[in-house]
Amino acid sequence: MDKRILIISADNLGIGIDQVPYQHFEYLKYPVLIGEEEYRESETYSAKWLLERFIKEKIAAKSSSLSRAEMTNLIEKNVNNYDLIIQVVMGSNMSAATFNIAEEVKEKFRERIPVINIDSRQVTGGIGAVLLRLIDIIKTTDDVEGIKKQAEELVVNTFSYYVTPDLNYLYRGGRIGKAKALLGSVLRMLPVIGLMGDDPEGVVVPVGQGRTYKQVNSLIINSIREKMNEKKADKITISIISGDESNSEAINGLRQELVSSVPVEKLVTGKLHLVEAIYMGPGGYGITVCMK
Amino acid sequence: MLTLMSELKKKYSEIMTTKENPLELIIDCIPHLREILEKTPDMLPVLKQAGVVDSGGAGFLILLEGLEREFNSRKIPEALSLFAALKINSVVKNLLVKRSLRKKRSDTGTLVQNLGVGNITNARLHNIVHNVQQYLKNRTHNHNNKYQAREALIKDTKEFESSWNPDIRYRYCTELTVSSDKNIDSQVLREQIIKHGDSLVISGRGNTYKIHIHTNKPDSVIKDISLFGNIIFRKVDDMKKQHRNFISYDSIEYEKEQSIFCIVSGEGFKKILQSLGADYVYDYGKRKPSVKKLVDLLNSLKSKNIIAAPDDGDILMSLKYAASLCKANVFIVESKNAISLISLLMGKTNEINKTNFLFSDRINNIKHFIVSKAAKKSSVDGVAVKNGDFFVIYNGKIILSGKTLKDVAAEAINKLLNDESIITIYKGLHVKGNNLAAGLKNKFPGLEFEEYYGGQTQYLYYLTLE
Repeated sequence: MDKRILIISADNLGIGIDQVPYQHFEYLKYPVLIGEEEYRESETYSAKWLLERFIKEKIAAKSSSLSRAEMTNLIEKNVNNYDLIIQVVMGSNMSAATFNIAEEVKEKFRERIPVINIDSRQVTGGIGAVLLRLIDIIKTTDDVEGIKKQAEELVVNTFSYYVTPDLNYLYRGGRIGKAKALLGSVLRMLPVIGLMGDDPEGVVVPVGQGRTYKQVNSLIINSIREKMNEKKADKITISIISGDESNSEAINGLRQELVSSVPVEKLVTGKLHLVEAIYMGPGGYGITVCMK
Repeated sequence: MLTLMSELKKKYSEIMTTKENPLELIIDCIPHLREILEKTPDMLPVLKQAGVVDSGGAGFLILLEGLEREFNSRKIPEALSLFAALKINSVVKNLLVKRSLRKKRSDTGTLVQNLGVGNITNARLHNIVHNVQQYLKNRTHNHNNKYQAREALIKDTKEFESSWNPDIRYRYCTELTVSSDKNIDSQVLREQIIKHGDSLVISGRGNTYKIHIHTNKPDSVIKDISLFGNIIFRKVDDMKKQHRNFISYDSIEYEKEQSIFCIVSGEGFKKILQSLGADYVYDYGKRKPSVKKLVDLLNSLKSKNIIAAPDDGDILMSLKYAASLCKANVFIVESKNAISLISLLMGKTNEINKTNFLFSDRINNIKHFIVSKAAKKSSVDGVAVKNGDFFVIYNGKIILSGKTLKDVAAEAINKLLNDESIITIYKGLHVKGNNLAAGLKNKFPGLEFEEYYGGQTQYLYYLTLE
């Protein structure tokens, strides 16, 4: 790799920033609003802090799009040190505002540096998986068109499944998409929702539901196997599992079922950030699998 | 059942010289058959042990009684026969062709103009006759327009005529795509499946092939093709049904590509299944639905493909027959209780088209048992049940019985529990003010209990272990 490449993303990767194995990586923090107050991820304001407040204080939280000024400043700061900037962005149908800002900033720097904006069609671990695989790609090529093409293939072969015990967190955030069909069950259910990279709509879809974590974990693994069959994939190149740490038994169960069911090249146990906890809600967790 | 059939034959032979009408003779045999039915427990010890009569024989008797009632009371609605429809079409076509050839006008034109189009129940023919009547009525067309209109109408009548093809030799149009890790030898593939039907087309190369065949045994085709690799796509269309729909007496405008239709007893289960995503749930209460009712329900869904699932194995036969009569492609899930329907819908994905064939695997995912109350003394499968006792059915067999509901349920849980954590109780229609969940919670503090109203008429409780 001859070109100096900077990768930019945000703090909604489903993995810790220290888990990104790339030296030239920068990230922005999503603003989180609780009432009139704005918070950013920190040692104090973490996913755990927010999830506890959800349970104890029944608060409502929402996120805002990334700051245009912060994104501009970040690129301005680095523009002379790199030959190419790649931004891995949250799915444009999940947050059109953030993607538009990224496009505007790209246009602003058009004369000074090439910028590739990758629409991950994902959130949390899905973005993390696209990012980690992208790092592998740029080890093999620094050609802009080549990177774009491989990134597109990567996106359509990345699939995320989330167990969200209370879908209202997603509903209140306006991101429930087609998973609305899972609301209003008479029985107490654990809904499983998904973000399918090969779905051009890029919205949350219902995958199924179960009464126990064991059932929903099996449902997820079966869905992954069906997807592998459909995509003719013989292995998962990378998988990220992350969620509310207080639900570690269910998360561990999913991890064990995954490794005993399908070949996984690299399995990453990630972590939730403040902004991700808003939509996941207490007890929520998810898994992303990349088949490219 | 065979005993009753044999007795019918004997009795019929005895009295056959007394009347001419065979139906009346059969009806005259019914009192004798009732007597024989009452004697069936003396003929088979297991019936006596359970304190019941032969159910097959009872069903046969009901069938005969139904025949009597049906033929004596039912007025069959008139429908246009296929022959009549084709004949009318032929008359209309000939009229148009003659006018086209400028032959001498006959009275047929007046006849067609006076046809009561409202009585033509066949939707396609209805439209043809209506359009021809408009054409005959309209004298204002100029020559060119009239010629074009007439030609179009002749084309319609010819299409209607050619739509009747009674000679479909192989019923199912079957399409599959097979893919393998290795290259597939298309010649071997062809030789393997050609025996199953005709119209075979194989396309593709390397390790992926598409296959099209008309066959009467789609299952055998699928089985044979799966020897060559993974089947990644499959579609089976019933051409007889397609054909009948094409020329049928009415038409359905499909509003949906696919629907899930559940047939269940109990208002509570109806609500539960609806909330889990069933498109339509029919609560039949105590009376299982007739074939006609099922056909009406299936057609009313206005869906091209329907996944239909009943809560009782006894409904399956009617449902299968109804499926053969209705317009839609119906995929029947052979579920046998309300819990399997919950299991089915919990596993529902948004890509149900591709997983139709997996549904049957999903119906037995929830371990459950049934609690009921004995109305008579019996002994089945080595378990003695006294009148008024509660008893537990698991996997279709009585496994235990006892005096109190709570003890019986607790014993069953103890017996069946492995690593499950939630017990869900579905209360039946006839349970009055009994909080079973609270009682069991005291006995099993480590388990979670939830109670819902199922409203089923047949059993007091369903209990699931998940």
